[in-house]
Amino acid sequence: MSSTDTPFFIDANHLYLEIPPSLSQEQIYSSPGASRRAWINQLCLKVFLPWFQEEIAPSAKVFPNIASLPSFWELLNGTPITFDSYRLILVPTLAIDGDELRVPQEWLDIPQFAADYYIGVEVNPDDNLIKIFGYTTHAKLKNQGFLDNNDRTYSLESEDLIEDINVLAVALELNTSEILKAEISPLESVPETQATTILERLGNPQVIFPRLEIPFSTWSSLIAQSTWRKKLYAARQGLPVDNSITQWLQTGVNHFAQLWGWETKEFLIVSAQMRSSSSVQGLSRQLTIAENTYELRIYPRQTPEDIIWRFELRNSISGGQIPVGFKLRLLTEDSQEFENNEDIATSLVDMLYVEVILEPGESIGVNWEIEPTPADWEREILRF
Amino acid sequence: MQRRQGTVEIFSTFIKFDADKFNGWITDAKLSRSMKVCLESSCSQESYTFWALYWYKVWENSEKACEQDACNRDINQNNYYSICAYAHLCAYLQESCYWAARKSALNSSGHSSLADFFQIAIANLSKILKSFNPKHSSHLKSYAELSFERIIRDVLRVRREADICSDVSLLLKVSRRRLIKSLQNMGLNDQNIENYVLAWECFGELYTSDNTQIRQRRKPDIAVLEAIANLYNSQILNRGLSSPAVEAQTIEKWLLSSARAIRNFLYPKMVPADAPLQDDGNATLLDMLPGNVEHSLITEIIEEQEAATFKNQQTQLNEVLNQAIAALDTKSQQLLQVYYSQQLTQTEIAKKLEIKQYKVSRMLSSIRKSLLVALTQWSQDTLHICPTSDLIASINISLEEWLKYYYRQTESIQLETV
Repeated sequence: MSSTDTPFFIDANHLYLEIPPSLSQEQIYSSPGASRRAWINQLCLKVFLPWFQEEIAPSAKVFPNIASLPSFWELLNGTPITFDSYRLILVPTLAIDGDELRVPQEWLDIPQFAADYYIGVEVNPDDNLIKIFGYTTHAKLKNQGFLDNNDRTYSLESEDLIEDINVLAVALELNTSEILKAEISPLESVPETQATTILERLGNPQVIFPRLEIPFSTWSSLIAQSTWRKKLYAARQGLPVDNSITQWLQTGVNHFAQLWGWETKEFLIVSAQMRSSSSVQGLSRQLTIAENTYELRIYPRQTPEDIIWRFELRNSISGGQIPVGFKLRLLTEDSQEFENNEDIATSLVDMLYVEVILEPGESIGVNWEIEPTPADWEREILRF
Repeated sequence: MQRRQGTVEIFSTFIKFDADKFNGWITDAKLSRSMKVCLESSCSQESYTFWALYWYKVWENSEKACEQDACNRDINQNNYYSICAYAHLCAYLQESCYWAARKSALNSSGHSSLADFFQIAIANLSKILKSFNPKHSSHLKSYAELSFERIIRDVLRVRREADICSDVSLLLKVSRRRLIKSLQNMGLNDQNIENYVLAWECFGELYTSDNTQIRQRRKPDIAVLEAIANLYNSQILNRGLSSPAVEAQTIEKWLLSSARAIRNFLYPKMVPADAPLQDDGNATLLDMLPGNVEHSLITEIIEEQEAATFKNQQTQLNEVLNQAIAALDTKSQQLLQVYYSQQLTQTEIAKKLEIKQYKVSRMLSSIRKSLLVALTQWSQDTLHICPTSDLIASINISLEEWLKYYYRQTESIQLETV
């Protein structure tokens, strides 16, 4: 494993895992620091998660979903993972000294992000390995850790960490009842206009430390909202901030669509009367609903007078169907119902669909819901 | 090495090195007096291990009191007790540290010095005391020896890495805390440290590495240095710091001296090992010797020992672990055997057992997990304790200790039993 000729002694208290070759980075970031941060987080995640699923918690997955990770990594260090009813934050570092676990304040003081466990991981890309050097809980980090206002991080010295991640595994296995989380104060709300002004200011990639630029109370309630955070990410990459479907399809901005969890795709449309087929460019995303995978598609249908956007839910397995009781529902930008806005599976069906008809020149925002709720669903507003 | 005689000597003398060789014991008069007072005022003649436990408890209690009393940290009694107990324990553990250093010096190639290793190890004594748990570890001495070995090995690992890193790479591979410690060690004042750390922070955001390897990164070019300087200057305004604006050359100078500070910190200058108490202020503290021994602590320890359940538990614990090991498959047993009884590198272990190299740590961890479960369950059932993470962590430490001794029994290891 060690690529140098220095002897590599493992110590049994710490777990070392190998980084498999060829992990490339696809996303773009605004600064070298952000890019490096994303890179080590990605290495760490790719190695840690499979091991963790195999040895400790098979249900473990990235929170809220893989697509949102770049919007975190652009701004701060750490990768959230949920398992059973717990959450952990992987906190990778290139530091070889293992002196401390240093966690951005956001991962502790934002109620939506706060985790039960924080895991320190030394990433060594030169030797292709990661070393889990210790972990702690929210309660301990918050009560015994030091909050440094210079870089807004909580840190705990390594002697106050539990070194061996096996202890975490055994504590879970034996179901110890202890307090993992300290109390967290609720966030204040930020008026829409202020949020927009701040987005404009921090969206400038010349602002190198956006998370330190405004008071933490304002900053935390803004980035807690996934839409705002993703917009900030987009702005800092010079990408269009509005998640406009029309624009994605026209410009094929793949990175950006991916950020929101979508990919562009060609669909084959078979017209019933004409017995012919044509292809259309649309968007697709995979959803996990009640342990099965489905596909949500959005694509335009052109008629002489209107533009129709069609939302379609299908089973990912060809020939698979949609179970009884599933609902696909569209809402307006401000979450209002409208006419014919939902489709319900009253029997096993091949697909559910809802269509939105736009007059030429009209522009609207729509958000979608499915029942039962998909595993990594977050409310999002799509523009047409 | 000449053996020490008697309780007073054991708790008040320190090894003297001549070049790299053991050169006798030096007595610390104040500690010697302190120990004599204790012996006189306690009615019974207790063993060395008893006094070790006593000083450990004094240290632990006063540390706790200091922590609770953090805002009032200046010279107070707890602080004094803590320093005094620490010094006695430091004297007591001289041999353990010496043997750990010697073993490491024998095992490591190149220019390694026994006295240097001794120094590294003893400097970390408070870390060891912090993680020691007398409820789960049999002897402080054996526990400390194992911990000293680990600490030396850990420092060597970091040194090795630092040696093959360029200055810039080293800056990418250092924690904020270590950087600050290194700069403090270099003698910078708080204001300067703040500036250096901010420069380092700006460097981290703007220095481009192509995200493949870190070790051989080159110096940032002038354009990048200028960008760092600009960022630095805007940050001192943003963060309301009172430092003056700087130019690219200053940034470069600071970064290079930070790298040098990190390296220097890894190779500390030799301090005479026989002077662990010569911190400023401590010496005056030691002049105000306490004339009393904490009788309540003595009673507590005696009661614990007389409860005699401890010995009984040790036997049971042996049984539990022997059974758990016997239940493992052959490959796992071999891995434990090879890992704990021989000092092999991961490559050597993999070759010997014909397993993939990267699996060694993973397998070892998984085997130890099964033993830890067995052990924790046993203490849950027999001792009727509700395990918490901290408790499991200390059980885990004693498991490690137990495994090392279990597998090293075959080796002729020098153990001073009292």
